This record gives sequence, C-alpha cells and structure tokens, in this order.
Amino acid sequence: MNYREPLPNDCPPPEASEIADPRIVFRLVRLDPPTLDDFRSQRDEQPTASFRLSECQARGLSVFAVQGDCQLAAKLPKFRGRLVCRVNLRVGSGFIQQTNRPSHHTWWPFANYDILSQCEVAT
Amino acid sequence: MTRTIRQTGTLFYYDGPQVFEALDAIGGHYLGVMVAPDDARDRYLVVGADPDRLRQFRLGLIDLRTMIMDRPYGEWFMLHVDSGLDGDLGLEVIADPDIADDLLPVAGFQLQQTSTSSVAGIEARARGNLVLEITLTPPESAREHRIHVPTYVKALGLLQTIVKHAFGWALRDTPQNSRSSVRRENAHILDVVVPAEAGSFKLILVGSQEPDMFGNNEIARALVQLDQLFDHVSDPVEAAKYAQTRRGHLAGAYLRLLEFLVAHDTDIQYEWAEPLSTHTQRRGISINQAKPIIAILSTVQDLGSETVILTGALTKADVANGAWRLLTSEGEFAGRTAENGPGLGGLKIESRYTFTCTEEMSEVQTSGTETRLLLLMKHEPA
Repeated sequence: MNYREPLPNDCPPPEASEIADPRIVFRLVRLDPPTLDDFRSQRDEQPTASFRLSECQARGLSVFAVQGDCQLAAKLPKFRGRLVCRVNLRVGSGFIQQTNRPSHHTWWPFANYDILSQCEVAT
Repeated sequence: MTRTIRQTGTLFYYDGPQVFEALDAIGGHYLGVMVAPDDARDRYLVVGADPDRLRQFRLGLIDLRTMIMDRPYGEWFMLHVDSGLDGDLGLEVIADPDIADDLLPVAGFQLQQTSTSSVAGIEARARGNLVLEITLTPPESAREHRIHVPTYVKALGLLQTIVKHAFGWALRDTPQNSRSSVRRENAHILDVVVPAEAGSFKLILVGSQEPDMFGNNEIARALVQLDQLFDHVSDPVEAAKYAQTRRGHLAGAYLRLLEFLVAHDTDIQYEWAEPLSTHTQRRGISINQAKPIIAILSTVQDLGSETVILTGALTKADVANGAWRLLTSEGEFAGRTAENGPGLGGLKIESRYTFTCTEEMSEVQTSGTETRLLLLMKHEPA
C-alpha cells in the first residue's frame, strides 16, 4: 500500500480504519481552488523538528469531521483568512482515525488518491 | 529578558498544538497560541493566565481573545520553537504593551463546552484530566457526608486494586504491536483530589499519570474494563459469567469489592469522564445486586488465581517447609510449594530454574490492599 508520504512501521496504527464508505471531512486551505501545499503533514513541513507525538501522527493530516470545528480553527491567528474545504473521502482514499475530540481525525491518504479533485471550498 | 515555562497540555490541536497551557518553575500558569511562523520557525504568542480564568477557558466559558487581552499585568511574550514543545521553553518578554492584531485570534474562539453537567464531566474538563467520581452510601452517611475511617481506607484500597488489575487486563487486550506505545509507568494510579462532597459520601479521583497532549489518560483503559464488569449487575448469572471471563486477579478483586459492599452495608456508584468527553460513563451496584453475584462467584474455584512463570536463580530452598526464593531479572520472588506441587529436594542454590506458579491474592483486612502468595506447581532447569 503506497501512502502519500513515507510512513514508519506499524503506521497507520491498528486503531485506524481504512476508509470504506463515503464520508466528508474538513480541512483549512489557503486559496480557492486549493493546492497540494494545503495537504502537507507536519513532518513534511518541518523535516527536522521534534514533535511531542508519534512519528506516525506527525505524518498524517489533521482533518475535522465537523465543519464547525474547522471554522473554529480558522479563528486562530495562524489560520486567519483560510478557507474551509470540504473533502470527500471514499474507498481508496486511505486510513483515518479519530485522534482527539470533539472531531479531530488524522488522515493518512493513499498516494494515488486525487485529493484536489475531491476538495471543494465551502461557502 | 527571558522566562522559562514547560508545556503541561494541549488545548486545541490541528496540524500541531495550536493552543497550549504551561507552567513556570514557581507554578505560574500560561496560555500559548501559535501565530504565523517567522524564518520558518514556529512561533507562539504567550500570556500569563489566572488559574480560575484558565479553568473557565477550558470549560468553554471565555474566548481566547479575551484571555489574551485581559492578561495579567499587560505582559506578553513570544516563544520561538525549533524542535517542538518538549522540555524547557524560553519566553522572550516583549516590551511593547500592545499586541498587533495579526497575532491575535478572532473573537469567538471558545473551546467546546462539555455537554454534560455532571461533576465528573465538568471536573475532567476543568482539570484537563480523567476524573473518576465515586459515591458510597454507608449507613453513617445517611444524614451527613460521613464515613468510618476504616471503611474509607478499605474502599480506596479496593478501588485502586481493581483499577490496577483492570489496567493489566486492558493491556492483554491491546494488540502486541500497539503495546509499546502505551505509557505504563504508574498509569493505573489514582489520586484523591476532593475527599468529600455534601449530599452523600463522594470521592473525586484523578489519574495520577499526566494525560497525553490530547488530554487522554491511560487509566481510561482500566475504567473501560471496569465498566464491562458492571454492565450486567441486574442479571447476576450474566454478571458472574462475565466476571469469569476475567478470571485471575481482576475477577478476584471484583469479588472482594462486592464482598466489601455487603459487609459495610453500602452501594457504590461511579462516574468518569475525560476532558473532551461529550458524556460520562456511569455504573454502579447495590447491595441487593451484589449478593447473588457473590453467591455464584464464591463457588468458583481459583477465581482470583493466575499462573505466573518465573525464571531465575534459586536463592533459597527450604525442603522441610517448602519455602523458596528465586532471583529474576524483575527482582526476587518468594513463595511456597503448592499442596500437590513438587518438592524442592535436589534443587541447587544459585542454579537457574523456571518455576510455574499459581499466584493467589488475598486482602489485607484493614486497608483493602493485597498480599500475594506464589504456590509452586512445577519447576524445571532453565
């Protein structure tokens, strides 16, 4: 299974699920239409940083299951001006796990999933 | 000029910790929020935070912009991060009293309020940690919040014991390749934070181990196991059947807790939550429910025993009375031969053996804590 970014052994973790049914998640993007720069993991953005979480999580993408939580994140100074993108996930889009509440999930996309075609900026 | 803090928790996470809380060396509280990076380094705006207002922020009652604008003494700081929020973090004191608007959150960033009004849910949120609330109803608590000291001490001892064994069982249920990521050290330990509340006799306990950056505490694994033990208490046959699937120290601790309730004429209720729980878990058992379960489980042979295999060097072998000691990589263990077990004749001191033992736990009557007895069933050279 090829993932968008190289993952460590035992990643995604056993608690993660392969996406089998269509679902929608939300991610903040800079522009409409978004670019692949909006879908880089923490590790990709900071290759030499030391994170206080597992390497597996650092190589996933943060998404929210609830649009309101994404809109809340857009109020933070780092994300002011960003747009909420509704991302359609389905079979072949990778693995996902809820990693924080209320609705934060970590998504590990497969390499061949065309993210940008599934991402629609929510108005 | 600098000041040093250490992160104590993450309050909002999205592609990294966006809002965190921290303490300095003398217990001063701080709140940090990530701002736009500078020279490719992460930056945080950090302000001091009054503990009561910080509690309200965690509960979703105050927004982040207000916390920053109403900061103590007008002080604020910048934190440049090269490699994550681990360890000591040096804050740069900013002389300019005004904070540029692009460093501030938009008004209305409030953490989600808990949807539960229970004490456990609210306390979990306020403390940023798992909270377990226990309610006991011994006769002396009928008119005021009151409990005999021996009952209180024993209840705490039994609770801690059952949670310890529930945690051990939860680890067994965890897939092997996930076990290494479980933070085990003292994960099962509970701390009493509020010893009594008016209304009935209530105890508020928290996980002693610090929660992870998402507010999750490993002790939740043990409480999930405990919930399953209490799921069927209205059907004693089902309850006893389930307890037997947890044969070993957990089932033994469960039976001893039930016996304690009957002996001290008290029901027990408990409720627990984690900081971001949307609802609490609530379970309990009455004396009348406990009695038939005890009646069934008391007839089960070796309910609380577990098989333990030890390998190490023999340091004592008393052939006459069957007492032995074995020094393993995890320390020295002592025990006796089982009634129908092998003799110790012919074993050599300082030689290595593998001992297969049955471990039985028995209760120290006054404290509810355990003593362990290892009974040797089989030995062979290692």
